[in-house]
Formats: sequence, C-alpha cells, structure tokens
Amino acid sequence: MSFFGKLKGNSGTSDVSKTASPAKKDPNAPQPTLLEKHIADVAGPIRHDGSDKFFGFENYGSTCYCNSIIQCLYYSAPFRDHVINFPSRDFIETLNRDTDHEASHEIRTPNGITVAGDGSTASYPNPTSPARKPIQPTSPGAVTKPEDNRDSPEYRKKLALAAGPVLEMTRDLSQKHGMDESLFTSLKDIFEAIIGSQSRVGVVSPHKFLEILRRENEMFRSAMHQDAHEFLNLLLNSVVESVEDFAKKHPEPASQKLLNGASLGQHHMQNGGLTLAKKSTHDTHWVHDLFEGLLTSETRCLTCENTSQRDEAFLDLSVDLGAHTSVTSCLRKFSEEEMLCERNKFHCDNCGGLQEAEKRMKIKRLPRVLALHLKRFKYTEDMQRLQKLFHRVVYPFHLRLFNTTEDAEDPDRLYELYAVVVHIGGGPYHGHYVSIIKTQDRGWLLFDDELVEPVSKEYVLNFFGGEPVSGAQDARQLACAYVLFYQETTMEAMIREQEVDGLQAEGRVSDVGSLAADGFPTASKNGLSHMPTAITPTVEEMEHMEALAHAQTAPQLHHQLTNVQRPPFEHMVTSPITGQAAANNKSKKELKQEEKERKANAKAEAKEREAQQKAEEKEKMLKRKEAIARRMETIKKQDDELKQAMEASKLSAAEELKTRSDSSTKEGGLARFRHGSMSLRSKPKLFGGKDKDDKLPTVSQGAEMTANGASATSSSTTMTTTAATLEEPEKKEKKNRFSLGRKRSTMM
Amino acid sequence: MPGSGGLLETNNTLEHPTGPEYQLVVGEGTYVLKDDLHLATPPPHPSDAPQPNNNPLATKIDPPSAGTRLSTALLSSRKPPTPGLFRFITNQSVLSNVHPIEEEAQSPRSDAGSVNGFGSSSFYHDNLPTFGDGNPALIPPPVKSKKGERGKPKNNILKSNSSFVSRVIPHETLQKRLQDRASDGIFAFANINRSFLWLDLSSETKVENLTKVLFTKAHCLCHDINTVTKSKTHLDVILGFNTADIIWYEPMSQKYARLNKNGIINPAHVTSIQWLPNKENYFVAAHANGTLVVYDKEKEDAEFVPEDLAVADGSEASINASMRLQIKKSVHSANQKSNPVAVWHIPYSPRIHATSFSPDGQHLAIVCSDGTLTVINFLREKVIDVYRSYYGALLTVTWSPDGRYILTGGQDDLVSIWSLADRALVARCVGHESWVNDVKFDPWRCDERNYRFGSVGEDCRLLLWDFSVGMLAKPRAMSIRPTAQSQLHGRNSVGSGGIPLVHRRETSSSSSHAFSRLRTNSSLSRTVTDDTEANGADGVNGEEELVHAVESRTATAVLPPVMTKAVDKHPLCWLGFEEGCILTACKDGHIREWSRPTEPATNSAVDSSSTVGSSFVALP
Repeated sequence: MSFFGKLKGNSGTSDVSKTASPAKKDPNAPQPTLLEKHIADVAGPIRHDGSDKFFGFENYGSTCYCNSIIQCLYYSAPFRDHVINFPSRDFIETLNRDTDHEASHEIRTPNGITVAGDGSTASYPNPTSPARKPIQPTSPGAVTKPEDNRDSPEYRKKLALAAGPVLEMTRDLSQKHGMDESLFTSLKDIFEAIIGSQSRVGVVSPHKFLEILRRENEMFRSAMHQDAHEFLNLLLNSVVESVEDFAKKHPEPASQKLLNGASLGQHHMQNGGLTLAKKSTHDTHWVHDLFEGLLTSETRCLTCENTSQRDEAFLDLSVDLGAHTSVTSCLRKFSEEEMLCERNKFHCDNCGGLQEAEKRMKIKRLPRVLALHLKRFKYTEDMQRLQKLFHRVVYPFHLRLFNTTEDAEDPDRLYELYAVVVHIGGGPYHGHYVSIIKTQDRGWLLFDDELVEPVSKEYVLNFFGGEPVSGAQDARQLACAYVLFYQETTMEAMIREQEVDGLQAEGRVSDVGSLAADGFPTASKNGLSHMPTAITPTVEEMEHMEALAHAQTAPQLHHQLTNVQRPPFEHMVTSPITGQAAANNKSKKELKQEEKERKANAKAEAKEREAQQKAEEKEKMLKRKEAIARRMETIKKQDDELKQAMEASKLSAAEELKTRSDSSTKEGGLARFRHGSMSLRSKPKLFGGKDKDDKLPTVSQGAEMTANGASATSSSTTMTTTAATLEEPEKKEKKNRFSLGRKRSTMM
Repeated sequence: MPGSGGLLETNNTLEHPTGPEYQLVVGEGTYVLKDDLHLATPPPHPSDAPQPNNNPLATKIDPPSAGTRLSTALLSSRKPPTPGLFRFITNQSVLSNVHPIEEEAQSPRSDAGSVNGFGSSSFYHDNLPTFGDGNPALIPPPVKSKKGERGKPKNNILKSNSSFVSRVIPHETLQKRLQDRASDGIFAFANINRSFLWLDLSSETKVENLTKVLFTKAHCLCHDINTVTKSKTHLDVILGFNTADIIWYEPMSQKYARLNKNGIINPAHVTSIQWLPNKENYFVAAHANGTLVVYDKEKEDAEFVPEDLAVADGSEASINASMRLQIKKSVHSANQKSNPVAVWHIPYSPRIHATSFSPDGQHLAIVCSDGTLTVINFLREKVIDVYRSYYGALLTVTWSPDGRYILTGGQDDLVSIWSLADRALVARCVGHESWVNDVKFDPWRCDERNYRFGSVGEDCRLLLWDFSVGMLAKPRAMSIRPTAQSQLHGRNSVGSGGIPLVHRRETSSSSSHAFSRLRTNSSLSRTVTDDTEANGADGVNGEEELVHAVESRTATAVLPPVMTKAVDKHPLCWLGFEEGCILTACKDGHIREWSRPTEPATNSAVDSSSTVGSSFVALP
C-alpha cells in the first residue's frame, strides 16, 4: 500500500488506499483504477527488467498506431532486454566516464522526466495540442458523444493522464548512448524511463519519438490515420539500421562489450533452448534473431522441370484472409502452390526466357517472434480504393506452423500468442488501434493509449472479426485483430502456465509471480484437492473488478468467487503476505467460519462507509479535476515556447533530412539488413477458384504490381508495401529509402 | 450469429435450395440437400432487452453459446440399410449390433430395460460392469410401477410459474401429430438462443415445432435423450444451461424438473451433458470449470462439499488417487441421499468442451480448453491416457462404433485419430480451414476394417473422411516413436499390464483381434477377458496413467479428406449421421438435411468430383 502512497503523492490523490473499498453501489465515483487494483498486491522491490511496469502512452492525435506497436514490443521480454542493453552498459559507462559523470547519472534518474501535477518542473515543448483526440468509433449506427460519461474510455484516459505520473520524453539522450539520435535511441529512452520509474503505472508522452518519426518519415507526418503494421515494419528496420550504424562506428569496443550485453540479455530470457551462441559474435543481429525468419521459395519451371530455390528473409508475415478461416489456414494458403503464368511468368535461367512455372513458399527458419499481419486492408478494383475486410479469422492461443520446409530446424516449434493489435473502425483511412498484451505475470492487459486495464483471457478472443450486422447496435463489430504476435514457447512453459491459470481461476494463488518464477511446487500439485481456499488479495481484486461495469472477467470462471462476499478492502491493508500465510495455516472449517463473520462485517461496514465514501470520493474527484486544470494551464503557458520549438525543429529536421538522405544513398550496404514484411500477392485463381473466394473482392493484381513499381516483371514474391503507403504519393527520397529492402528482394 | 435476431417472434422457415452447390459428391454417390430448416431466433426477453453498445472495446463477454445442436431419437427399429449404399462388403448384423455412438439414438431398442436400466442389448454382456456397481447406496429402489411406465418429473412446464421458464408453446395439434406420425420418423431436439425446440424431422410439417420452450434468460448449450427409456410415450431429455442449471424434461407429458438450481452444486455453465450408458437415472454434466458431475435425475440437490478421499473406506478410487483426475466425490461414496452422485475434477480447471462415452460404456473421453484429451475408465474413476492436441484447445470428441478409435477436433484445424488399444496417435486429418467443432462416425458406412467419419467446423465446411486399418498399417508413423522426446511428461515404463509402444504393430493386431471378436459377439465370455486385458488392465494391475507427448509432424501419418465442401454460410457446430441423411447445424440455426445417395455413383463421377484438395496432402 505504501506503493500507492508514493505513487499518488504528487498527483494529489494520495488517499487511494483509504478509499479503496468495495464501492459496489457507486461505480461512477472516482476510485483506484482497475489497473491499480489489479496490481495492488504486487509486492517487493521494483524489478530491473521492466516486466512490472504498466504505462499508457499519450495520444497526440491519431498516434495510436505508434502506441499500440511500441507496447507490443515493450512486452516482448527479449526485445526489451536487448533495447536497454544495447549498447551494453559497460560501453556506455566507459563512454561517459571521460566526459561527464553527472550526465551519465542523469540517464537513470531525472532524464527529462517531470512528474506531472506538481507543477514545478513540468516545462517541455508539447508538439501538438494536448487536447486528447477522442477515438472515433465510426459505427454505422448511433454514435452518442462520449461527453464526460464516466464509463467511457475517453473519460478514463483523461483520468489516467491526470493521475500520472507522466513521463515526458522530450530530451534527446542519444549522445549518452554513444549513438546518433534515431527512433531506436528514443525508443530506448522510453523503455529506460519506464523501467527506471518508481511508479508501476503512469503515462508516457513520447514527444521525441514522434518528432523523430515525423521528421524522418513524411508519411507519418500528417495527422492522418496510419497503418500499424507499416509502422512496425518501419520501426524494426530502423532499429536494425541504428544498431548496424553503431556497430560500424564502434567496431572494437562494441563487439567486445556486447558480449556482456548478450549475456545480460540471456539472463532474462525465459525460454531455454535458444541459439545464443550466435549472439556473442554478432550481437548486432539481435533484431534478426528475434523477428527474422527465412522463407524458401521453390519455383519449378513447367517447361524444363528445373526447380530453382531462393531464400528470402522476413521480419513479419502478411497473410491474405478468407472468410471463416483460421490463421493456421491463412498460413497454409500462404504456402500453397501458385501458378506463375500470363503476365506473371517466371524467368527461367535454365531454359532462358519467361516460362510458366509453379511456385511455393515455405518457411525454412522459424522466427522466435512471429509477427503475423492479417491483410484486412485490401484494394478493391470496383471501389478503386482500399477497403477493410471484416472476415472472421479465428486465432488460437497457441500455434505451430504447418508450412515449413522439410529441412527446417525445429518444424514443430510451439508459439504462444502474446499480443494482439486491434483495429477499430469501418475502413482503412480512419479508426483506432489498441493492443491487448499478455504480461509476464499480470495476465492480459488492454493498452488503449493512456489507458491500461486488465482484461480476461476470454476477452482476447473477442476480435476474430465477422461481417458487421447492420441491425445489431454493437460497436464491437468494428474491432478486429490486425497484427498478431506469437512468441516461441515450450510445452513445459505452456503446461506450467495452464496450471497457474487454473489455480488462479480457482482463487488459490496469491502471488503468481513467485510461482511462475520458482517453478511449480510439487506439493501443491498433489495436495490440490485439499488445499485450503485461502482468501488472498488476488481474489479480492477480482471481486472488486467484477463490481465494475468494464472489468468483467469471464463471469462463469470466477463464479465461485463472486458467490462469496469478500471482506472489504481494509482487511488486506496489512501486509498481505503474512496475512495469507496465516490463512494458509487455518483449516478449511475455520476459514469458512471466518468468512461468514467477515461477510457479516462486510455488509455492515459497507453500508456505513458508503456515505462517508461518497463524500471522500467527491473530494478526490475535485482534486483530480484541479490537477487536470493545473496541467492544462501549464500546457497553455508553454504554447508559445512550443511554437518556437516547432519552428526550430522543422528547420533542423529539413536540414537533417537532407544530410540523411544523402548518406543513406551512400551507405547502400545497409540495405542488406533491411527486410520487408513478406506477403504473397493475391494468387491467380487457377485451380477453378473453388468456392472459397466467392465473396472476396478480387484484388487487382495489376494494380498492386504497378503500385509497387519496378517489380512488375518480377515473377516471385513481390514484397508488397502495405497498400496504405501506396495511397499517398511520397517524396521520392523518402520512399526509396523505406522500400529499399523490398525492392531488393523482388529482384530475382 | 444467434442473438442478433430481431425483436419480433418469428417462425421457422423451410427452404429447398437446389443446384450443384447443394450437392456433396463422394465415392458412393451424391448427397443432395433435401431441406434447409432455419430455426427462428427468439427475440430477447423483455426483461433482458439488448442495450446498444458504443464501446468497441466493451469487456462484456457474450453469454457462452455453442450454436445449435441437435439430439435425435428414433423410436422404432430402422429398416435394414440398402445394400447399394455400401461400398464395402459388410456384415449387416455386425453393423446393426454396433451400439450408437454418443448422443445419437440410432438404436432400435425401445425396450424398457431391466430394473437397473442396464442394457438389454446383445452387445453387452451382463458381466460388464456398470456405473455404481458394488455401491449398496446406489442400488435403485424397487420399481413400483408396472413395467413400461416411467417416472416423470414433478412439475408441469406449461403451468410453470418459474422465473426460469418464460413461455412454452406446444403445437396446437400436438397429440394428433404424435399419434399420426410414422413410427420410424426422427424426433429432434434443438437449441437456439434462449429457446429449445422439439421437432419432428420426418414430418411434412417439420417447420412447425412440436413444442417450443422459451427460457427467460438462460441459453441451453447442450442436451441429450436417454436411449434406454425412450418410448412412444416417454422421452427423458436433459438440458444443460449457461446459467449452470440443468433441466430434466419429459416432452410427452410436458413435465420438467430443475437440477443444480442456480448452480448450487456447481456454478459453472454446462458445456456437455450425457446420460450414462444404459442408465435410466444417471447423467454426467461437464461444467466449464473443469468439473464433471454425475447427477441422478430423481434426486434433490444438496450443497456440495468435497468429500475427503480418506473417508471413502479404502475404495479403489482413494488408492488410485490420480494427478489427472481429482475425485471430489466417488461413486463409491455411501452418502447418496442427494445429488451429486459423483464429482470428478480435472486439475487446474480447464474448460471442458466435450465428453463422449465409449460404446461399451466403460470409458469416457474428455476434451478441454488446455488441449488435452483425457480418457478415463469412469467406472473405476481412473485415468488411462492423457493426450495433447498439436496445439490449441480441443473442441469435440467421439468414439468409433466399435470403440477402438477416438476422434478429436480442435483449434489446430485437425481431426486427430487416437487408438485406444495402441494408446497412441494414429493419424492427423488435414483439410479444415478453421477450427473443427464437431466430428462423428457414420455408422452406416463403417465396417470392420473401414471407417467413414465426418467433421464440421468454423470454416462452414463439411468434410468426409475414410480410413482403413490397412492404410494405418503403413509404416510411416511407426519408425519414429517419440519416446525420447523431452516433452514426455510423467511417462512411466509400461509394465506387464501395458502395451509396449515400440511393438505397436504387433499389439495392434492382437488387440484388434480381441476387438473384432468383441464385435462379432462370437464368444462373449472370452471377449470380456480379452477386453480386460487389452484396455481394462489399468487399476487392477496397478498400471498407471500415461501422459503422452505431442507427436512431431514428421512422425505422424496424414489423412486427406474424401470430400470437402462449404455447406452453409455460417460456421457449423453440429453434425449427425442418420440412416437416410447427414444432418448439419450451424450457429445461425440452419439445420440442413443431406439425403444419402440413392444409387451408386459411376466411376467417372467419382474421379471428377472428389474435391480432395491436392494441396492438403502436404506430407509430413
């Protein structure tokens, strides 16, 4: 509880723990957020790996594509570890030892982070209006203005922002890392700020990151709705570039120090059996080690029967969707045989000239993190534009790949779903992105810009999609999974997790974290049927959650819990661990009786407190409002500063852009490490078309081809730039830079 | 989706679409869509009006819905199948002796059974144990009424003032329809949304419900007809609900009783419900929290407190306490005054998705959300095998008519064939484009060596499959047994009572020998002993349960379908084989009846139209 006191101390809501009682009757009153309740039992020191931090990201107007992807990457434990350990700590220390000792210290603590609400240090240039852009659920049916409906996500986002702490990521610390300023350095700054934060919750304002993103990529400069998958690809490529760049500049110290970095990262890796040997020699390769897989395309010329093979790397897979399919099936389709004929003939080196050919692509090396892009935005010829496909595509929590080559290493690799990026909206040009992510030991959380909330496991499967029914007034129809992140796992890990999940559902585990870490105690396995139903804080949290409109975990699963009225919050303010230990020692009967007593107490107390609480909450509400107002004011004051800064940054951006584009053309060698997302063009419907694609808008192959430019003659994989990028004409230099990798791989 | 129905009460509709897209072309001929019966989705109860939802991320989870499922019953003996229907030379007598699988009531027996309701079928020997044997507390009370008169539930559903039941709409001329109907017609019960329908599928006016029961809020998720007690005047139907309630319903007299009221015994929703084989009173309900509860339809509920195993007076169950099945109340418990009769719990409470009894009434197969298939000897309350899906949850399970094979379908888009005797995965059936929701054998096209089964799934497709024992003898899967795989959990060396997995072929032949004798009923007394040796040896000989590793893809045989076709616009959730047709049901309430081919197809038709996707036969 002291944790909350500290956390809230600055934001004027330090009375959280006092009011954190089961306010069932008045869900509208401000109270600890669902997230705070969810993690209230997190005890012990703050972890150094960042796995116990749950930060929202501020939305600067349609930057949800960025927020949702960064969150997905943050909660990939190996990715996060690599980001914060590159360049290695040793290297950074040696770098900063000579210069400014104070500064190196600054990385960890102040770091340009101002705690919002205390009004003293919060001076920063805010690049855009701080007015929160409400999400636009473009439901065809009734759209009522969210206004200040307290149940609305908009309202809760505001609260989250007001409650803080807000990490204002405005400073450029790239010099401290010995790197040039880049998306990677600002991403690293964000990760480090989150990890270094004393609070487990809060909001990140990724000013600098967006500034760099917009400076370097014109397509992201407008306030328009952007494509999250496109952004993921850009970000990964950009990280690769920065890492490579750094390795070039610091060949000696880096490679040596990176050994340490690798071992550090290794330490945090959850899954055994990883090929880490590689890493120590080529540590700059870690993005590839995580996300990169290898496709083998086999092309058999129908004229000379000669089969040619080609390997192509990918950082994510883009799969075409069919109505009523599964991701398994989409991946299978991806690797199905394809006829290359007519306009799409294959240039056979053997017989020379364009020939008809059969081609199929299979996965030769499986990535450790499989980013699966569901191509929901499809160009339709009749409409002459992109349309969103609402096809119902089911995705399981676990996955293996059927479409592997025979010589693939570990073809039965087991993947687990750990993040889902959801697109909400009726079309590709507008809407909203959120992500739902499995955290290490806090279950699934919904990340909706500033808002972070716990959700049930069942909730994750709410986003299969399905053609919207016009009559049904349900905005959920607009939300479909868009990018799925699967990470490698093992049977053992899966089974252990199922066990922990089960125990949690049974309400018998208080500290999953320690359980998961220590491995499962065998004693409790055997004695499960006799385990006392200890009343643990976890259970309490569930109870509280269920009292709230938005917190529904699967009701059936927790039914047992809800049937029993839980004691009020106060009872657990004392050290939860000892309390629980005591409970564990009690016999079942004792427990039951105690429970009854508590039940009675709870009822009486609840009534008494209700009135008192209402008053308290009103007060708190006022305080929060004040805090918001105060923040707004400071922001206004900064407006002038902001404008100036904007001007300055624009200028510098233009300059840098020039120099950068120059250098990028020079450094052509870098392109070797760029990879696009691999996607198969829509196939010619040669095999009778069957009945499978009846309703699909047939995608104009030609359109896609020409849009891709230069690749028209290529017969194999065109790495299609997601169509969204094609829509806007870009400045040439920029575009070239971005699609370098793609073009390269289209040339056979 | 059901639930998206309008606000007005509507009637079922019947259509007869024709054309090539409504035909299934298989080796034996062409199945033609005869009827497409669309069940009306009832409007929500006035007290439960849907609220418009503007939050696309609303965390409200819809009430669990399994889509429309059917329970069918034939009351009279069926005619012998037309010989032309069969591609294989089949011993007809064997076939008709095959006990119906799962909830399908294809059995001709309308006998009332013996006192304890135990089978009169020649398939069963009296020596085969049944549930509750040896527990004096479970000896049924002497039958008071005359033979043939069945106990009915207490309450009249038409006059019910329960808040659980909203409305009951019997057909105006129900009694006349019941009298006039052909005795070989198929009765069916179907759930859709909050309504439960009694249909006569053979009637001219099948579009009109015999009775429609509307519940206030509860959705019926599963139901079953008791094949032992069914007669022209009596049908015992049990219904499991998303509210955890269970209803015992007798439609002829419109009587009902409610069990597990408000979840007093178990609060989780009922995902699967089945009468125990050859029992009048007992049924098992699978609750979503990993618990299987055996209820007695005649007994009252009592609040359930798990019984201490030690108290269970040294019964077999307490000795064989299993990690894979916690016995919270044993069938041997002396406390049998009230429900539940027995309670078993799968550790870590996965959601149980489906259950299926073996045809000989000895085993129960359970599939769960954690991807496990657990085969238990439910009489001994003992786990035999635990298998795992390739990945993802398993959603459906069924037994072959001869009890030798178990089929599962799941989120890996696969139908998997498991052999009970070999205790191993036999083959994976690749062909679905999405999750497999139901799988059933077609007992009319199975013989001793060849099996036909079908499967339906989220991909709106019906797939038909043939597999034969000969095909399985192909050594593809034999060479590599994954005994060395690290994933192997809790695997013990298989002792004297077990079957050495390495010598699979050998054991397969010997055990199949036992089974084939079982099937032909040539020597029942010996069969029983053989049977015990083959798969009942557990428990007695102290053989422990076997937790199997996941087989690698390269080591597993792959079976392609003989037919695949999208047979509906909506995801399919139920499949049934009747003598004259294949039945499919979808999540939107379409029940489609596909008539079996009337004459054998010519060879050319077979070749040209088998729509086996060549792409599926991706090898292991």
